Amino acid sequence: MAMTREEFLKSSGLTVKVLELWIEQEWLAPEKTPSGLLFGEIDIARARLIGELQSGIGANEAGIDVILHLMDQLHGMRRALAELRREMGKAAV
Amino acid sequence: MKSPYEVLGVPSTATAAEMQSAYRKLAKKLHPDLNPGDKAAEEKFKEVAAAYDLLGDADKRKRFDAGEIDASGAERPPRQNYYRDYAGGPAEHPYADASGYADFMDGDDMFADLLRRSQKARANRPGDDRHYHLEIGFADSIVGATRRITLPDGATLDVKIPPGLVSGQTIRLKGKGAPGFGTGGPGDALIEVEVLPDTRFARDGDDITIELPISLSEAVFGGCVRVPTATGAVTMAVPKGSNTGTTLRLKGKGAPKRGGGFGDQFVKLKVVLPSPPDPELEAFVSGWEKGKSFNPREEG
Repeated sequence: MAMTREEFLKSSGLTVKVLELWIEQEWLAPEKTPSGLLFGEIDIARARLIGELQSGIGANEAGIDVILHLMDQLHGMRRALAELRREMGKAAV
Repeated sequence: MKSPYEVLGVPSTATAAEMQSAYRKLAKKLHPDLNPGDKAAEEKFKEVAAAYDLLGDADKRKRFDAGEIDASGAERPPRQNYYRDYAGGPAEHPYADASGYADFMDGDDMFADLLRRSQKARANRPGDDRHYHLEIGFADSIVGATRRITLPDGATLDVKIPPGLVSGQTIRLKGKGAPGFGTGGPGDALIEVEVLPDTRFARDGDDITIELPISLSEAVFGGCVRVPTATGAVTMAVPKGSNTGTTLRLKGKGAPKRGGGFGDQFVKLKVVLPSPPDPELEAFVSGWEKGKSFNPREEG
């Protein structure tokens, strides 16, 4: 469910400074609403992934930029593939 | 079970730096988010992460080497969700990126056509439903009410609670959910309403039950008493010779019925003696012969 900025900080364990930096770098893209930023569970999972890329795998800023960009393209392709499969299943009937 | 050293593929003499480098090499290969299509990656990664959790921490490693803790103590709590679980799902999200296959949509073959169609279907998807929880008092659940809830984005929503609502019922406000995409309309707001328990009233279908304390003289002589109902207190006649357990009916004071009309309110009387005991009453009862011979446990 949707979270406010404070709830997201608590749940993700990020500091305000790190969160601002990651949003500026477009690593995180919370929904902008009149009353402030709104985060979802996908943002929590993404923040955790960025943390693991940084400390676990040792990727630097540029590396994380590239990984996230390619990863989102890969997921986009996987979705398109899944939908193609569904469409083709429909067409076969 | 493999030892954590075997899992990471390092000798037990490995330095912290060697350990980290071995872990990084394995994590790059096995991290579930770097292998979105490999279901087995999660298990393998968990094993490696648990091993590094133990050996990557100098203190834990020392205790492990000394036999104070075993490898099972290093097991991580099962992690529920990776990024891939959200990003790869059918739900729309801000990180979706079609640039990896955009060029494939330009052709006029069947494949491009299918891609374009699925892209369009997603582009005009209706918004998601949003779920809320609302608590109301018993009286409001019977007579109905209007409640204003504040949404996470600061907007407010007026929820009309229909009379006679039952706890757990869901109210659907069409079009008050998340905004849709393209020509897809917004989703709905679904508000689950919980009726808070009431100390006096209880609900039994369309009827309402209540227990009403009365005095001994009201029980013996009858009289008029005030009874609370969901719509306010009313006057009710207690017949002469009423008893604990006597149930009286207030017609039409229950919840509204589905097909029209109302249920009833049932008032169960409870005779309450004065406290502390009254000496005059005690004196009367001690001289009351018939009262002594009456045994309510004996079936007439």
